[in-house]
Order: sequence, then structure tokens, then C-alpha cells
Amino acid sequence: MRILAIDSATPVAGVALLNDGILLKEEFSNYKKTHSETLMPMVDRVLRECECTVNDVDALAVTIGPGSFTGLRIGLALVKGLALATGIPVVGVSTLEVIAFNIYDSDALVCPLLNARKGEVYCAFYQAGGIKPVSLADMRACSPEEFVQQALTIMDANNKTSLILLGDGFSPYQEFFLERLGDKMVSAPPHLMLPRASALAQLAADRVNNGQFDNVFTLSPVYIRLSEAEYRLGRGAV
Amino acid sequence: MQETMILGIETSCDETAAAIVCNGRRILSNVINSQIDIHRQFGGVVPEVASRKHVENIALVVEEAFSQAGLTQRDIQAVAVTNRPGLIGALLVGVSFAKSYAYASQKPLIAVNHLQGHIYANFLEHDNIAFPAICLVVSGGHTSLLYMSEPGRMEIIGETRDDAAGEAFDKVARFLKLGYPGGPAVQKAAEQGEAGRMVLPRVFLDRNDYEFSFSGLKTAAMNEWKKIERRGGASVYDMAAEFQSALVEVLVEKTIRAAAHYHAKSILMAGGVAANGALRTLMGQRSRDEGYEIYYPSLGLCTDNAAMIAGCAYNAYRLGQFAPLDLNAYPAARSL
Ligand SMILES: [Zn+2]
Repeated sequence: MRILAIDSATPVAGVALLNDGILLKEEFSNYKKTHSETLMPMVDRVLRECECTVNDVDALAVTIGPGSFTGLRIGLALVKGLALATGIPVVGVSTLEVIAFNIYDSDALVCPLLNARKGEVYCAFYQAGGIKPVSLADMRACSPEEFVQQALTIMDANNKTSLILLGDGFSPYQEFFLERLGDKMVSAPPHLMLPRASALAQLAADRVNNGQFDNVFTLSPVYIRLSEAEYRLGRGAV
Repeated sequence: MQETMILGIETSCDETAAAIVCNGRRILSNVINSQIDIHRQFGGVVPEVASRKHVENIALVVEEAFSQAGLTQRDIQAVAVTNRPGLIGALLVGVSFAKSYAYASQKPLIAVNHLQGHIYANFLEHDNIAFPAICLVVSGGHTSLLYMSEPGRMEIIGETRDDAAGEAFDKVARFLKLGYPGGPAVQKAAEQGEAGRMVLPRVFLDRNDYEFSFSGLKTAAMNEWKKIERRGGASVYDMAAEFQSALVEVLVEKTIRAAAHYHAKSILMAGGVAANGALRTLMGQRSRDEGYEIYYPSLGLCTDNAAMIAGCAYNAYRLGQFAPLDLNAYPAARSL
């Protein structure tokens, strides 16, 4: 069973092909180029170098947010195009869960963070004692200070003594986190810091095996935030 | 003769649209998911909201285009998509979808300029349009005058410096509390009023070029209205009529001047504002006076749609002008 995973939720663009639990190829790029230019050629390279076409793929996986609004839409629109043309089923996975999956078999509280701009981060909290991350609280957008307070509360409640911070929301507030969390905190090394399409593919594999597919027609990004205009209008999502 | 079916995709503003057109002429389906009701509450198109709706709806709209045409993916020869000009985030949804759809179905991809698409709407409905032609593309997103020496060849000779004409309609309609979208709302109000009872400037009409500016007209209308509203007794219908006249007269006179300068045989209008009754009437009169043939698309093909994109792509298809997988979207029209 082949799973083609596509991620453009953050400044990272990634594509991976996983076949029966074996990672065949992965491309990762965190270099300043627009996803709309890089992502489709990446998909083409991954497939061709693995000597297959889209039609040999059994499922498509995509990060559905949170993340950059435009990045999320480029990835999802691309996946919808592939799916509609071929009938291949789609699985959408949380960007924060994908990042959390860089860590496993750890007693620490795993905290993926994305740069949400406007002085905020998108954050989530995972238990990573086994292979797969287990969510301990709803993801949200908040200030770094609110994140730290929630992290400390969750650590207390779950008898954890340390936490791992990772994702592109870490470095903008690195000094602040160090000051507030001191040696309770560890940040992930560069190769585990950012979302990997391979992790996305593996997370999707379980859902694929259980037949838990998303509806290609209605699948939408998880933005967490409303658009500015909707905020100003002072009402719920349109 | 081999029939060429092209799937067109259009997401440059607030309409998610897909259509299938045969040989650049016969419309087999033309599906438009309009967001007008959503943007009404904001009084104009909100780019982020539009982009969100596009990605939600795109697959459904394309599926519907196939189902209405009674075709499947195997029956089409190419995929065409608008990649400029427009709201960048909105364009990117259509471009990303079209690229992967074309790739997965192993069909060539064709990038279409939205302005050329609008103009092409005329060729979907009219035969034997004589060249050279002057085209006025006027909508909520653009106000451009183009010179077309022959089919498929065009250059922009003038554009708006600020607001598009349709945008000015929207803003003034909102200010006068006439409703949304502004074009039809102002037109309806204007029918009950009379132009000339208050006086607004014909902006840029004194300039010997093909540039437009509607932001100044919009501000003048708002200031004038605030003034006379305080005095009382003024009719909002008269204001709507004067505003519409001031805008339409500049569009028409500059178009006629361009037609004379370029020795045009035809004048083509396109875009949502080309549906405006006052514009059609005055442009028709002036064209007949000066001896130009005048064309505009039927109402449904004036506003944004994908049939004009699929139709416009036919020529590129015949010439083998295909787009690569790294095709990007651009907010500006650039050179055509
Ligand atoms: Zn348009």
C-alpha cells in the first residue's frame, strides 16, 4: 500500500512516499521559494524516482492545519486535484500532530509550536510515551506566555518533569521560553524541529488502514483563526 | 473534425467556477459558485474569506462541471486555469488544483490571463468580429483598455490608477446604503433619479491618455452627499444617477478616443460592469455615431466565469502553448 504525503502548511514544503511501512523517498525544503512553484515538481520527482505514477498510489495524506493560510490552501487544493482526477482517497492530518511525531518513547511533554505571527503561537500538547503521540489538550492560538502557563499546568497534572519544544514557533520566542522554563525545557535538534512529510505519511497510514478517510469535497483547512474581516465583524466563522 | 474539450477553472476573485467548452465555442457546462451572499456582509470582497471558500468548493464545482456536461475526465483534452491577474491567494487555489488535476489525468495545462478570458467571452457568442478592436474590460477587479490588432493578440493601453470601476460602485453603494453588489444596486437607484441635479467630476477626462481614476470620483460623491444631506431634501437616487453618469461617461469617451486613435473597427466590452445598462446604452449610441461595431457578452458571461477561460485556452491548445508544473499565480496583468 502506497501513501503519498504532501505538506506545505509552514515555510517547509515536503513530499514523501511510504510503501507498506517502508519510506521510499522524501523531499524536504525549507528554502525561500513559493510552495506554488516547488510543491508540484516535488510530487512529480518523488513519484518518478520511485518509478510510479499517481495511479499507483493508494492514499493521499495532507497536513490540514494549523499553519500559513495560503500554504494550507496550496497543499489541500493540490491534493484535491490529485484525488478528484484519480479517485484516490484522502486523509487530512493536524500539522501539530505531525510535528509532535518527530518525538517518541519520551517521558517529556511534547509541545509542537507554529509561528502564528501577531505575537502568538499555534500550540498543542502531546504525550509521547509510545510510538504515536497522544493529545493531552486542544490545539489553540495564544501568546507564548499563555502557552507556558498551560504547559506547566499540563506537566503538573501528568507528573511530567520536562518538556520538549519544537516547530517553527520555537525560535522566535527562544529566549523567552528559556527564561520561563529554564532547564525543564529542551528544544528539538534541527532534523526533528520541523514537519516531515514522512511523519505525515506514517500518521495517515493508521487512518488508511482503518478506512478513516476524509471527504475530498468538503475537507477544509483547520485555520483555528478567523479571517481579519470576520473578527472585525464580530461574529463566528462564515 | 477532432473535438477539443477543455476544462476551465477560474478562482481569481470571489467566484469559484469551472466549465467545459468544446472547440473554444460550444459551452457544455458553466458552473459558478458565487460568494456574493458571503461578501455582502462585508460590503465588498474579502480576499482571505474568498480564498477559504475557493478551497472548500473547488472540487465540488469541477465535479459539477463534468456532471452537467455529461463527460468524465477522460473526455477532456486539456485543463485551463486563470493564473493572473487577481487576488493572489484566490488565484493560488485554482492554480494549485488545476496543476495537480492536469498532472494526475495526464492532460496539458494552459495558463489563461483573466482579462483575455473576459474579452474572449465576446467570441463565445459573436462571429466575424472585425479587427483591429478596442476592448474595455471593466469589473469589480479591473478597469483596463486594451488594443487588439488581431485575434489573440492584445496589449493594455490604459488602466485604472486606483479603484476598479466596480469597486467604486461597491463603495459608493455601501456609503449610500443601496446594497451589494454595488453595480446593480446603483443602476437600480439611478433609474429613479436624474443625473445633473448635483455635479460630480469626470475624472481624467481632460487627460490625453487612457488611464482612469475612480477613487477621486468616489470621494467626491461621498463628500458631496455629506454636504447636501445636511441641507436636506436631496435625493439619493439623483446622487446614484449622477455618480453612474460620471463614471460611465469617462469609460465611454476614453474608449471612443482609443478606437479613433487605433483605427479600430470594433469595440468590445467585457467584465461585470459591462452588464451595466447605462454603460451599454451610452457605449452603443456613441459607437453607432462614430461607426464602430459594438459587442458585449450576454449578462451571464460578463461576470467572472470559467467558460471564458476554457474558451480562451483553445487557441493556446492549438498552438501547443502549455504551462509547466511550476506555474505560479500573479496579482498583476503584466504584458499580455
Ligand atoms: Zn473578472
